[in-house]
Amino acid sequence: MAKNKVRKTFLEPLGKNNPVFVQILGICSTLAVTNKLQNTMVMTLGVMFTTALSSWTISLLRNHIPSRIRMMVETMVIATFVIIVDIVLKAFYPEMWKQLGPYVGLIITNCIVMGRVEAFALQNKPTLSLIDGLASGLGYAYVLLAIAFVRELLGTGSLWGYRILGSWWTNWSIMIMPPGGFFVLAILIWIIRETIMKETNHA
Amino acid sequence: MKVQSAFYRDRIYPLLFMFLTTFFCILLTAGIHLTTLDRANANELSFARKAVLDAAGIAYVNTTAGIEEAYLKSIEEADGYFTTSSPDGKRFIIPLEGPGLWGTISLMVGFEEDLQTFAGVAIVSQNETPGLGARIEEPWFTTQFEGKQAPFTLVEEGTATAENEVDAITGATRTSEYFRNLANQASDAAKSIVGGE
Amino acid sequence: MHDALLPLSVFFASIFTSNILLTNYLGTCSFLSVSKEMKTSLGLGVAVIFVMATTTPLNWLVYEYLLLPFGLEYLRFIVFIIVIAAFVQLTEMTIERYSEPLYQSLGIFLPLITVNCAILGVCLFMVIREYSFFTSFVFGLGSGIGWFVAIIAMAGIRVKLKNAKVVPALEGPGITLIIAGFMAMAFMGFSGMIAVS
Repeated sequence: MAKNKVRKTFLEPLGKNNPVFVQILGICSTLAVTNKLQNTMVMTLGVMFTTALSSWTISLLRNHIPSRIRMMVETMVIATFVIIVDIVLKAFYPEMWKQLGPYVGLIITNCIVMGRVEAFALQNKPTLSLIDGLASGLGYAYVLLAIAFVRELLGTGSLWGYRILGSWWTNWSIMIMPPGGFFVLAILIWIIRETIMKETNHA
Repeated sequence: MKVQSAFYRDRIYPLLFMFLTTFFCILLTAGIHLTTLDRANANELSFARKAVLDAAGIAYVNTTAGIEEAYLKSIEEADGYFTTSSPDGKRFIIPLEGPGLWGTISLMVGFEEDLQTFAGVAIVSQNETPGLGARIEEPWFTTQFEGKQAPFTLVEEGTATAENEVDAITGATRTSEYFRNLANQASDAAKSIVGGE
Repeated sequence: MHDALLPLSVFFASIFTSNILLTNYLGTCSFLSVSKEMKTSLGLGVAVIFVMATTTPLNWLVYEYLLLPFGLEYLRFIVFIIVIAAFVQLTEMTIERYSEPLYQSLGIFLPLITVNCAILGVCLFMVIREYSFFTSFVFGLGSGIGWFVAIIAMAGIRVKLKNAKVVPALEGPGITLIIAGFMAMAFMGFSGMIAVS
């Protein structure tokens, strides 16, 4: 029974309750860096870290938070974890930190983080909230990594900074430019809704 | 008695709670900030040194220690610029700053002894659009200037052939133009910095 | 500051060539959900202009006079978001108190804005790009207008879209994203407008 619940909590955000496809949440802060796989990886790891740990913290405090200042406390906790991500990046991966610029800070306003805290962590036990946060982050991560994969491959002919396609490949510059992000996300949503979502609807 | 507890619950407790949360959050971040401060400062220094090495065209191992070793071995600091001796003569490296599309671009420009021919260009900091203008940091863009002389002309990405042509960055025409302007001023700046010539 | 960073060019760039929504994807969440209706888009758009134009310089003051002197830059995320939230709350209360019609048309959108990443984004960009006080104000105002223009244009298109047949799986966010992509391409076309000398 308990094991089932853990399984369900973990799997739902990855599949039919994926925050990006179903609710189109939280793409703002990360879509801008999806023209490079490496940057996307670091950003999504940051989001996973923040979602998981803020869900856990808020869940620990859930019976003590006065409801009037709930939002303030949540924002505070989320911002703290984002600052930690920022400081760690600055100290250990300075080149990545410079490339990401303001986008690390924008994790605070990522709707997924606040959304999971509000919708799940306030009602559930810490461990379960941690798992939920982690899974939501993971569900978010793989979608954005897929977008980054398409954009970097088509846009520059390389992946993770290494040239994959030969010199015969003409770079689709539009892919690494802003419109590319909108198009790839739209097409991805189309494909997913057409295939996976339909199956789950029938089942 | 009841009034008092309601007062506590509605006024004091939320304030106290908020205060405690803020206190712990700031304590935590301050702690992490202070423990990593030295590292962050070392990174800044390392960044600047790396740019000087890149502009001078000196090979190095890309670690903090490697950069420090190469820098201390071959770079000499002068008043407002850097020099290095290579087999073909002395090279001058000058720091340069100028406007980009979004903010200041600051870079190191290396010159051969004539203060005309570029030996190398390296970006210290810039705030251009990630994935577009920010590509001025990428080696394919900066190495284009090596061995060439100003004034430079921008051509479409991947088509530079003539002696003073450089590839512009697709989708970042503005940034490329600002960068070209900077590069075109570099030689004059070098002459006035290195002194009186 | 450098002359090419004149507030005027920052103003135009933030409205057209580097529209905060269409090139930085900031504020996409509320953009997708709100642009369904013209009336709400109008309200939210105006509220965004107002909040951006006021909180950006406000945060500039806080950063310059409170955070920098004490070496607390690393706390800027928390401080900025609190300033924005507090400001929005105060404005909402003031409007509610003094003007009922204004509250009905504008005030109800204010709470939505605290979580709009574009507001925080503009403040963070302003810090990284080291703008002056006035440039920050212009940048905030321009970005707000840019966001307003984008959401109004999208709402106008989506009104027509209601009568169009769209592939079921693309309905709603899918088709909106595709239109946003075309809008982003159109806005890139403005990039020839500002000349760089």
